[in-house]
Amino acid sequence: MKDGPILRVENLKAHFKTNYFGVHREVPAVDDISFDIGRNEIFGLAGESSSGKTTLMKTIAGLIAPPLELIGGHAQFSFMPVQTNLYKADPALLAKIRWRKLSYIMQGSMNVLNPLRKIRAIFSDFAAIHMPGPKDEFEEKVTSHLARLRLEPTVLDAYPHELSGGMRQRVTIALATICKPDFIIADEPTTALDVIVQKEVLGMIRSVQREMGSSVLFVTHDMGVHASLTDRLGILYAGCLVETGRTKDVFDKPMHPYTRHLIHSLPRIGDTIQRTSLTGTPPNLANPPSGCRFHPRCPIATSICSVEKPILRQFSDGRRVACHAVTGDPA
Amino acid sequence: MTNLLSLEQVSKTFTRGGLLSRHRIDAVKNVSFSIEKNVPEIFAIIGESGSGKTTLARMILGMQTVSGGRLLFDGKPVGGQTRLQRMAFMANVQPIFQNPFEAFNPLKKVDYYLYLTAMRFGGADNQTSAEYAVDAALKQVGLSLSEVRGRFPHEMSGGQLQRVAIARALVSKPKLIIADEPVSMVDASLRMSIVNLFGELRDRLGLSIIYITHDLATAYYISDRLIIMQKGEIVEAGNARAVLSNPQHPYSRQLRDAVLLPEVTNSIPLNEQGETL
Repeated sequence: MKDGPILRVENLKAHFKTNYFGVHREVPAVDDISFDIGRNEIFGLAGESSSGKTTLMKTIAGLIAPPLELIGGHAQFSFMPVQTNLYKADPALLAKIRWRKLSYIMQGSMNVLNPLRKIRAIFSDFAAIHMPGPKDEFEEKVTSHLARLRLEPTVLDAYPHELSGGMRQRVTIALATICKPDFIIADEPTTALDVIVQKEVLGMIRSVQREMGSSVLFVTHDMGVHASLTDRLGILYAGCLVETGRTKDVFDKPMHPYTRHLIHSLPRIGDTIQRTSLTGTPPNLANPPSGCRFHPRCPIATSICSVEKPILRQFSDGRRVACHAVTGDPA
Repeated sequence: MTNLLSLEQVSKTFTRGGLLSRHRIDAVKNVSFSIEKNVPEIFAIIGESGSGKTTLARMILGMQTVSGGRLLFDGKPVGGQTRLQRMAFMANVQPIFQNPFEAFNPLKKVDYYLYLTAMRFGGADNQTSAEYAVDAALKQVGLSLSEVRGRFPHEMSGGQLQRVAIARALVSKPKLIIADEPVSMVDASLRMSIVNLFGELRDRLGLSIIYITHDLATAYYISDRLIIMQKGEIVEAGNARAVLSNPQHPYSRQLRDAVLLPEVTNSIPLNEQGETL
C-alpha cells in the first residue's frame, strides 16, 4: 500500500450531455485519460483554456453534476476502498476523507472565503469538524500552521477583504493543508497573483508539501510555474492527455509536437529569437477533429493522423506520448 | 522634434471616505515620459497590480481626469475641450482591453460594432464605405470581413476575438494604441501571434503602441522602451532590453528574478530524489 501510487486514473471519460428541444449534444471534455500520481509528488497538468483541465479535476474529486456525466473509467485513491469512485461513495465515508485525506485549493481566493466571516470563523467552519479536540488546541494548531505560511496570528481577526490577494491565497492554502491531507488538488492557485507574490506562494506550497509528504495535483496553464514547481507533468490538449513524463525530461526534450510548440513559443529574457504561434485555433470540443485532435494544427501531420487516434505509448523513463510521428526514444 | 504624447509630472489622487475619515490614495505620482512623433515604437508599462498602470492608461485615454501635471497628445490636452475635439482625439487614440469577451456585446454581432466604429470615427458615411473600411482593418490583423460577418462573440475563439478587437481599434486609423494586458486572456498557443501582430503593426503602419503588462518576458520580446512602475511611481525607465537584462532598481530586480523561466531550474527547491514515479 505504501509503495503504490496514491491516485490511479484509468481510462477516465466524462462527457457533458445536454438534451434541449430534441437537440442532443455531447461534449467529450475528458476523453480516455490515464495517469498515476505517486506519494510525495507534485504532478502538474498543463493545457490551455477549454482543454478540459478543470473538468478532469472535478471528475477526479468526484464533483460530478449534470450536465457532466461519468462515462467510464475510474479514479482510484489509495486511501479509498478498492473500486470506489469518489462520487458514488457513501456520504459518511466522504466526510471522513474530506480535508483529512483530500483537499482542494481553488483559484479565486475571494470566492472561497466567506466575506462576512472573520478568518478565525472560516477556519472553524472548514476545519474544526475534521480536527477533533478541545478548542484551545485547535486554535494553537491553526496559529502554528499559519506561521508556517508566514502569516501573523492577527490575520485570524481580519475579514477576507482586509487582506491582500497574496495573503488571502496563503489563507486558502493554509485552510487546505491544515489537516495534513494525503492529497491536495490545486486549481490555478497562483494565476490571479502578481509575479513576486506568485513565486513566494509557490515556494510555500512546495515547502508545506515537502514537510507533510502530501501529493499535489497542480493545474495551471503557465509553463513557467510547471517548470519551477512540478516533479512530473502531463499535457492536455482538447480533452486528451498527449504527453506525460518527468518535468525535466518534458522541458528538455518535448516529444509531442504540441508540447514542443508550447515550450518553444515562450519568450525568454535574454533571448531575442522570433517566436511563432500555431496556426488555427483550439478545437471546439463539441465537434472535435477526427483522428488525432491536434492534426489540423500540427506541422508534421501525415495522412494517418486524420484517421486514427494515437494511443498514449510508453517510452523509457516513464515517458508517455500520444503521437503517430514519435516512434523512438528521444535521442 | 515633436511629441505624439507627453506626460509631465502627471499625478492622480483618489479620495475615499467621508468628511471625518478622509483618505488619500496616490494612484499615480509624478509620472513623466514622452513618445515621439514619427518614431513608431512599442512602449511597455510594467508593474504589479495596484501599481497604477491602468489608471495611467485611463488618463491617457481621457477617461479619467488628471489631478496634477500636464498630459498632452499632439501638443493639446488629452480628451479635447469640445465635442469635436474629443471625437478627433478618440479617432487618434484607441484602446484594446484585456478580455475581448467583455469588450464585445454578447448579444450583438461582432461586425455591427466594427461598422459603428467605422461610421463614427473611420469617416465612413454609408454601409458600403463602412464595409470597405472594416475589411481593410481586418486584413491588417490577418482576418477578413467574410470570416467575421454575422458571427457572435461566443462563436469565436479568444485569440480571434482579440484580433477583431485590434482591427476595431485600427478602423479609425489611430496614431496611438493603448493595449491594457492584451494577451493575458488569450490561449497559450495563440498568445505569440497577438504579440507578433503588435510588432507588425508598428513596422507596417507606423503605429505607436503602449503595451501595459505584468509579463516581463513578452515585454522583453516585443517592446522598444519601457517603464517599470511601483506604487504609482516610475522606478526605472529606458531601453527595454537593456533594462531587463540589467535592472538597477531593487524592485525591478525583484520583478525580474520572480519571472519563472520555462526551464527546469532550482529557483524553487526541487525534489532531491527526482524520481517518485
